[in-house]
Amino acid sequence: MKTPRAVFVPFMMGHHFGVPFHDDLQTEIILSALGLIQIAEGSGDIYSFPKTWAQARKEGKEIEEKSK
Amino acid sequence: MMEKSKQLRPGLWATVNERYPGSMITKDDFVPLTKLSKPLSESRLTFVSTAGVQPKGSLPFDTTHPIGDYTFRRVPSDSQFEDQEIHQLKYPTSGAERDLNVIFPIERLQELVRDKYVLELTDNFFSFIGYNMDAERLENTLAEDIADAVEEEKPDVVLLAPA
Repeated sequence: MKTPRAVFVPFMMGHHFGVPFHDDLQTEIILSALGLIQIAEGSGDIYSFPKTWAQARKEGKEIEEKSK
Repeated sequence: MMEKSKQLRPGLWATVNERYPGSMITKDDFVPLTKLSKPLSESRLTFVSTAGVQPKGSLPFDTTHPIGDYTFRRVPSDSQFEDQEIHQLKYPTSGAERDLNVIFPIERLQELVRDKYVLELTDNFFSFIGYNMDAERLENTLAEDIADAVEEEKPDVVLLAPA
């Protein structure tokens, strides 16, 4: 579908807002989408979220380790 | 800092349509860009998801129907993780079962109101399942039904997310 604007999040299916218990990352993804509403220049703009799935998983594991 | 992407997988849809004719909606034009009419801090936000999340006790999505389920569910925006269940077979739910926010970030959206990033949430969010193989029926029924339901709640901003 040719959306008017979108943020592409390069994470595994079922994890488009990040990894479990990583509240900051979940919020960051939402804010990137809401931010794009304000900066999109034209219909069809797609932006890439600047974090890899490997980075997200690593951070998530660290958060879970600390909470044990 | 986010970077603008090029077409990620050009030609993909044509390939899918060769195997499953008509399963991908193709459009010649982009949806027109509508500028935000007011600051986010004064805006009413809603959320639409294909995650198959639904309130416990509501009619489960038919996840085994060969051409899909063309209905949607309302999810109260002030409800909690524990109030929901997931009916969906087409994506791994291992993360969502531990923390629903990875696919349906209801707690994070509630926090945006508390932090005054947005003014308020609509009373309900909206959820359906993404496995719908009749693209024309999807566009003419489910998409229209959700659009009508969303409009009734008068949001200024709609966050859409796949699963």
